[in-house]
Amino acid sequence: MIRMEKVAKVYEGGVVAAREVDMDIRKGEFVFLVGPSGSGKSTLIRLCLREEKVTKGRIWVAGKDITRLPGWKVPYLRRTVGTVFQDFKLLPNKTVAENVAFALKVIGRPRSIVNRQVPQVLELVGLSAKVNRYPRQLSGGEQQRVSIARAFVNRPPILLADEPTGNLDPATSVGIMRLLDRINQTGTTVVMATHDHAIVDAMQKRVVQLNRGLIERDQSGSGYGGRGASAGS
Amino acid sequence: MRNILYLIGEAFTNLRRNILVVAAAVVAVFVSLTLAFGALVFNELVRTTTLQWQAGNHMIIFLNDIGGAAAHDEMLQQVGSFEEVEQVFYVDKNQAFEEYAQMFGRGSPGMLEIIDRNDLPASIRVELSDLSQYQAVQFRLVGDPLVRRISIVSEGIERLLNLTQVLSAIGVGLVLVLGSASVVLIANTIRMAIYARREEISIMKLVGAGNWFIRVPFLLEGAIEGLLGGGLAVGAVLVGHQFLGRLPSDSLIQFQVSGDFLLRWGVLVLLFGGAAGFVGSALGLRRFLKV
Repeated sequence: MIRMEKVAKVYEGGVVAAREVDMDIRKGEFVFLVGPSGSGKSTLIRLCLREEKVTKGRIWVAGKDITRLPGWKVPYLRRTVGTVFQDFKLLPNKTVAENVAFALKVIGRPRSIVNRQVPQVLELVGLSAKVNRYPRQLSGGEQQRVSIARAFVNRPPILLADEPTGNLDPATSVGIMRLLDRINQTGTTVVMATHDHAIVDAMQKRVVQLNRGLIERDQSGSGYGGRGASAGS
Repeated sequence: MRNILYLIGEAFTNLRRNILVVAAAVVAVFVSLTLAFGALVFNELVRTTTLQWQAGNHMIIFLNDIGGAAAHDEMLQQVGSFEEVEQVFYVDKNQAFEEYAQMFGRGSPGMLEIIDRNDLPASIRVELSDLSQYQAVQFRLVGDPLVRRISIVSEGIERLLNLTQVLSAIGVGLVLVLGSASVVLIANTIRMAIYARREEISIMKLVGAGNWFIRVPFLLEGAIEGLLGGGLAVGAVLVGHQFLGRLPSDSLIQFQVSGDFLLRWGVLVLLFGGAAGFVGSALGLRRFLKV
């Protein structure tokens, strides 16, 4: 579903965020990208969204080589990838329902479908009672649920999450992880960057550990510190 | 079609929800276009007033008695056919005396006694179509034995022409300066409004919105803000014009311009406001829409 081949990213000023990264994420997998700050987790996510361009190497997302994608096709790429961020990135002037509906409007879904799917997904994330609230009227956990609802409402084959629990307390984080796990169980590939040890240990999923832009470890059914089988095995 | 209706709806929703920023943009358009439209009206007032100043008798061609009435009539026809001449009329000796009597007779009857009816020459009064061409007419007549003397009635004709030119230049300068200032001000204010919402634009892009999907509501918002500001500016100038109309005006200074002028330029100012808002939005968005 996502394939990286010798991916390197050097930012202006010479900061190396990724070097020679090879990774293959299969359909339906749940993968944690872990590592200290500056290890390149967020950069890999941004590269998959074409928020940044690779310096070297190639990336395929949902079968398409996105390193050669012309600029005007990037919105189409992003419509096939749901995204969740640490700072939620909700549109401040839209209500909960409008934020979620926006992702459907962007791809030209008719109102009848929007009116059916938005309440469904908001029910899934437990926010049916708050559809007309604005983001500023919600707690951090609730905002993240809206963000997940928006990412999932199109039923994208891939969901990328960059530190989705970074701004949340442990109890709220557990709720968010349950939600992401449920989404993964529907067949959606989930890639999540985090440095939350407790969550990674509890979930026992595939863990790709990065350090200074290099993959140090790639293990399935693992905790944060490692114990489990190699992804390749 | 579905999307277009949605995007128009988005524009109106955004206008409602960003009321403070919208108000700032509308006020900027309003102030700058009021000044520019005001300058246009001032320019028109100057033009019509100076035109009025220029109307009337510009030249008097005093004639010798040789040739009699037939020669005078021939001269009248000749002058009347000059392209610089708007109209001419003939004043014979009797009419000249009546005029003299009117001007000087009332206060000092002695003035009438020293003049005989036959002493005053007949003359041709000339109104020029273009004041600045008086020398061309003068040039053609100088040396004609029938012409006794040519007098330029408006003694300050050159000064009047200069004053007209200066006032027109000030008017045109004001329109140009305020007009260009308004373009910059409107474009800048709307750019600032978009800058304040750059985070929102980046989120839209992350969700997969195409550039036009993001751009259309912003362009509509800019155009609507421009139209609102332009409408207020036109209203303000019309009210100001009404107010000026109530001032005691005399024949020297005009305080009213034609309704036709106000309508034509009012519509243009309105459209200009809308266009400036639209272009301001387009420029402001450009840097945030790069993928």
